[in-house]
Amino acid sequence: MEIEEKLALLNYKTDKSYEHITVNPNICETCPDHFCTFACPAKCYTLIEGKLNFKYEDCVECGTCIVACSHGSVSWSNPKGGHGVKYKFG
Amino acid sequence: MKIVVMIKQVPDAEEIFIDPVKFTLNRSQARGIINPSDENALEAALRIKEAVGGEITIISMGPPQAENAIIECMGRGADRGILITDRVFAAADTYATSLTLAAAIKKLGEFDLIFAGESTTDSGTGHVGPGVAEFLGIDQVTYTINTKIEGEMLIGERELEDGIEVVSARPPLLVTVMINANIPRHSSLRKKVDAIRKGIEKWDHDTLSLPPDWVGLKGSPTLVGALKIPEERKRASKIIKLEEIPDLVNELVKNGVISTGGD
Amino acid sequence: MSEFDAIVVGGGPAGSSSAIKRASSGLNVLLVERSDPPGSKNVSGGILWGKDLSAIVPDWEKNAPLERYITAKGTGFLTTDSMISIDFRSKKLEASKTGYSVLRAKLDQFLANKAKSSGATLVTGVTVDKLAFDGDRVIGVQQDGDTITSDVVILAEGANPRVAIDSGVRKPIDDQDIAIGIKQVIRLPESTINERFNLRGNQGFAGEYVLGFLQGTVKAGAFMYTNKDTISLGIVVNMSGLRENNSTYSFNIMEQFASHPFIQPYIEGGKVEEYSAHLVCEGGINSVPKLSGNGYMIAGDSAGLTFSNGLVIQGMNYAISSGIAAAETAIAAKAKNNYSSDFLSSYDTNLSANYVLKDMNTFRGIENVTWSNLMHKAVPGIAENVLFRMFNETGQPKEHLSSILMDSIRESKYSKSDLIIEAYRALRRL
Repeated sequence: MEIEEKLALLNYKTDKSYEHITVNPNICETCPDHFCTFACPAKCYTLIEGKLNFKYEDCVECGTCIVACSHGSVSWSNPKGGHGVKYKFG
Repeated sequence: MKIVVMIKQVPDAEEIFIDPVKFTLNRSQARGIINPSDENALEAALRIKEAVGGEITIISMGPPQAENAIIECMGRGADRGILITDRVFAAADTYATSLTLAAAIKKLGEFDLIFAGESTTDSGTGHVGPGVAEFLGIDQVTYTINTKIEGEMLIGERELEDGIEVVSARPPLLVTVMINANIPRHSSLRKKVDAIRKGIEKWDHDTLSLPPDWVGLKGSPTLVGALKIPEERKRASKIIKLEEIPDLVNELVKNGVISTGGD
Repeated sequence: MSEFDAIVVGGGPAGSSSAIKRASSGLNVLLVERSDPPGSKNVSGGILWGKDLSAIVPDWEKNAPLERYITAKGTGFLTTDSMISIDFRSKKLEASKTGYSVLRAKLDQFLANKAKSSGATLVTGVTVDKLAFDGDRVIGVQQDGDTITSDVVILAEGANPRVAIDSGVRKPIDDQDIAIGIKQVIRLPESTINERFNLRGNQGFAGEYVLGFLQGTVKAGAFMYTNKDTISLGIVVNMSGLRENNSTYSFNIMEQFASHPFIQPYIEGGKVEEYSAHLVCEGGINSVPKLSGNGYMIAGDSAGLTFSNGLVIQGMNYAISSGIAAAETAIAAKAKNNYSSDFLSSYDTNLSANYVLKDMNTFRGIENVTWSNLMHKAVPGIAENVLFRMFNETGQPKEHLSSILMDSIRESKYSKSDLIIEAYRALRRL
């Protein structure tokens, strides 16, 4: 089963007014490892033609990326107002 | 400005699935959320309150658990919450629901604007907002994506199939708001704590003193005869080559699917 | 004069337990949970060793949403071709009924509602931004520009404690403190689960494995727990090993585990209902920060209070126990009207006196064993080789176990002396 199919099972209440994680593209551009792309369990970080692409909409709010990024590019806040992932089982 | 916002707690559509055997909707795993376009209705009301001042009262009809949805609305800035809850109101159709809500709003006294979501995700009729306006005998501005007050008038932008219509109408009015008309704000801890302290008012059948056969199932003229999944219609299909198009046209004309016009 | 006696940030087992204890003692408690409903952002492997709950929810075994009680424990190694495991089933385990499989969306909602019915003010769907300070004294929390005051704040935010970190009362998390937890919940009929795991009625199985087949420096543990009509299947990936390797996707390890030849048959035909991920505290006692300060205490995962020795992983009971201990300290602080860091440090003392910190001290350094090359890269292959040669009939003369073992060690990439040193270290810590 592909990760994309697994993520499609989830109920997200996406906050259109607030991105709870942001990355600094200047730092990512010169990043030697892009470890975030391997660590993030929700495949929010991908390389497209060598450039880092990040999407917060699929985030499951685990916090892996803030630990994974050793270059200080990721800033991480909790989503607000009950937005974000909404597990049924947990 | 006295504003009423009507909201409904609905099962989260993301958590409803179709039973693979019985083909019915399984709602057992679905948790309650505020009907999405009702959130937009509240946001529209809050923006008017911020612009011209006023007081917002939330009215909802539903089971006791709907209290959470009302507290959430008060956490965003509504001033007062009323839950109309009574077993005799259960199984009401859109007619009986509109009538009951209209009676509750009448009981509240004077009002200038009533906001409602355009339709709910669990029944999708879009009847209740307009129904309340009819029972109250007031004008309505439906399908709005933007509303503001200018002088004594409400200016509403209505999203219609062929464009946006801007109307000006004089309160008292009922306004229905489209989903995605705006981005609803978050509730705040301060306001939510205050809302929990203040609590909501619960109104039952006695509070409204409506005749028993006007409400709930008894007051509902709609009867659901049956539910069925329409059978899939097999459509004829065939692949044709470019040079066969004239033949195809002749055949379609012969079978009356298309007409040649003119004669 | 503060608005609340206590504010608890986070409505998981630590926060809710703390709020239940305090509210039932008559304190005026605000419990703030960012998800709505509570539990809808929480994930756990899924075994609750819940004896501690009895103190605050005496009827928990009757009324809490529990899935199955654990009568069978599995533990072992998976290699590419083999499963080497101990399957411990015991009437004694069954009689003690201490471990239950649980699903957090339901359990956490139950506990948060208990806090509410005990008198706490429960606010859901609101995210606290930061602690509010007066000098170095915590005086409440900040949210959206407002300050809500309280005599004491309990931070029980879970494994990624943003408020604690952003307010400077806990250092940021690094590779040594956590592992990446990934889980999927797979639906199967109750009767199928019972047949496949050899269970009856409400009996449950909890298995934990070392994944000995991973490439390069990647290390991960895995778990398989039975719920009523679902199976929780998950992995716990070591962050520094994954980083060093820098070519394996964490989510692919989940799929590798699920499709292992001796795991796949358990879940065959099941429908994946949910995929989830969460940080797992793995740093042992070395990751536990300063637990209290002027006007605040930290409980549960936020304080790194999770126990794992490779055979058992426990977190929720530590969360509950630390939440209760923090509540007891807050109750005493109110009686004395003293919320200084000196007075609140009795929370640390309480935890040292009960099993929470005792366990973690007893097993100091255990994370170096559970994540050692010995456990992940050497032992699985050696064990497979030894057992295969013992059980495989080739028609050749039989060998002594000791010579098979020495052969197998020689065939592995590890030098005998390294293995002996690592094994000695491991035994000392276990």
